[in-house]
Amino acid sequence: MVGHAVSDFVFATAQYESGDWDSAPLVPANIIDTIARYTSIDVAPSGIIVPLASPSLFRYPLVYLTGHLPVRFGPGESANLKRYAERGGMLFVDDHNHDVDGTFHRTCTEELTRLYGAPKPLPKTHALYSSFFKFDDGPPTTSHELNGWGDNLVHKTLSGVERDGRLVLLYSSKDYSSEWNYHPENKRFLSVDNTKFAVNIVVYALTR
Amino acid sequence: MPSRADARRSAEWVLRGALIAALAWALWLSIRRAESSPHPRRATPATLAEELQYALTTNDSVSIDFSIDATPTRADRDLLVALRRAGIPVSWSGSQPPLAMQLVREREPAAGAILRIAGDGAAAVAIVDSAGPLDSVVAQRGATLAMGTLVGAVRAKSGDFYSRTRVPDAATRRPVLVLGRAGWETKFVMTALTESGWNVRSRIPTAPNVFVHDDGLLPLDTARYDAVIALDSTAADMTEAIARFVQQGGGLVLTTNSVDALKSLAPGNAGDRRPGRILLAEDTVTSRDLPIRPVASLRTDAIALERQSAGVALAARRAGLGRVLAVGYDESWRWRMLGGSSGLAAHRAWWSRAVGSVVAERLEDARPAGDEAAPRAALFSALGPPRASGPIEAPSPVRIGLSIFLLLTITIALLAETASRRFRGAK
Repeated sequence: MVGHAVSDFVFATAQYESGDWDSAPLVPANIIDTIARYTSIDVAPSGIIVPLASPSLFRYPLVYLTGHLPVRFGPGESANLKRYAERGGMLFVDDHNHDVDGTFHRTCTEELTRLYGAPKPLPKTHALYSSFFKFDDGPPTTSHELNGWGDNLVHKTLSGVERDGRLVLLYSSKDYSSEWNYHPENKRFLSVDNTKFAVNIVVYALTR
Repeated sequence: MPSRADARRSAEWVLRGALIAALAWALWLSIRRAESSPHPRRATPATLAEELQYALTTNDSVSIDFSIDATPTRADRDLLVALRRAGIPVSWSGSQPPLAMQLVREREPAAGAILRIAGDGAAAVAIVDSAGPLDSVVAQRGATLAMGTLVGAVRAKSGDFYSRTRVPDAATRRPVLVLGRAGWETKFVMTALTESGWNVRSRIPTAPNVFVHDDGLLPLDTARYDAVIALDSTAADMTEAIARFVQQGGGLVLTTNSVDALKSLAPGNAGDRRPGRILLAEDTVTSRDLPIRPVASLRTDAIALERQSAGVALAARRAGLGRVLAVGYDESWRWRMLGGSSGLAAHRAWWSRAVGSVVAERLEDARPAGDEAAPRAALFSALGPPRASGPIEAPSPVRIGLSIFLLLTITIALLAETASRRFRGAK
């Protein structure tokens, strides 16, 4: 059905058959809160979970996908994701691990490369970093990249695949899924809101 | 009683008189013939060059009768006009069928052309371009064909006769300005227009006093933009500028969600919103399944272009020098995303056509088709109506007999007069 007609934006989380798609359950509410807090975008108050193999995927032109575990897309998921990009959908994938060459990263990028071609690093001047807030140094670093475990991993860029000058895939190894996975009310304890970059992603998807 | 010698002298004077009269008659006939009936030469498209050579080098007075068994080339026609202007009578005959065509480029950047063709025969007319056959049509009552990519000249052929024209060059379109809030409708209207070749600029409010917009967006005038697309009430602060733009000849596509902001220009008011069809899992969306907020209370100068069960889905009117199109469909992006295998292309084409229907015509769009597009009319214009049917006038036997009679009269009179003078010893 033509649902959610009253809202311009519904935050959708991708459900896929392999892996742990629901590893960051508080991210949607947090991002919805951020969108409502900073923008005039008509955002639905609750998010939705959409199976990648379902035709419903096409009702949500921006979909967030995350997880820790290996990812393998089934035939229905692969076909839908290909068509989704052709039609103008944008898939935002965040590696819930923040390590280098982890299982999620390896398998997911293999799958995405098979569908869209290899993701390429996005320059700091990319429109994504100025679509709402200004991020002159590129993607904001997450505390999970600097977690004191000695791995000292800072991923300097995000990567993506563009078609006709717009992103159809935004891939992050920065573990925003951990960074944003808290109850929105706890933002008041932060000196700087660390979810601002989510606004840029949503505004970019809605205006490009 | 006159002597025999006197009678002989009198007869000599009679012969001299007859000789002079016959010479005068022959001279008069020769002048008259030169003036009234030059020697006719038949020419066909195949022999025209040869006849032209003859007509320009002979001392005889000639005329050209051009017999048409195929469409004459423009060069042939120009040659005949030049001959006529040089004083050589030119007529034409034959059955050049009425066949005319016009190619008009659609006002969309990536669109093809519309072919309009008219004829009076029941036979099929073949449409070909420089790359080969395209279609065939019976043009007895006229026909209109949407043409895709065309290469070089386009011909409509009926037997050996043809009409020919070229597609006008695509006019360079100015940008279109999209005004809408940050949402999927704005995004996908922009995407559809960009994919269709339009140069799209936009202004999208994302927070109070915060806009995502292209640089140098204003002023809004016809020197900078071809059309404005107002998708919702965010156009309200530009109402005056948009009204001025449309009055000056700019195009405006507005949705019924933006009607309240642009009431002075809209073809009607916005009706009540009707939700889209409830879809099952595998259903696909077409424009008829979309939510609709119909155009209600149409103005007297507006026309409904498309109706759905809920009411008028598309309506248009002229405002000043510009055109306004009101769109009742809502959330058309669902057509693109959920429209099955054809949804993407259909949504893109629909929006491109909607914008193309309001942009002003440019000189390039209206380039004349050329005189080969209507060869019969061009022939009439150049050479007048065809010669009435029947054989070309040839020298009659009476005229030939008269010439022989005059020659004999002159010869006999001359010989008799000379002989008479000699026999009587005079010089």
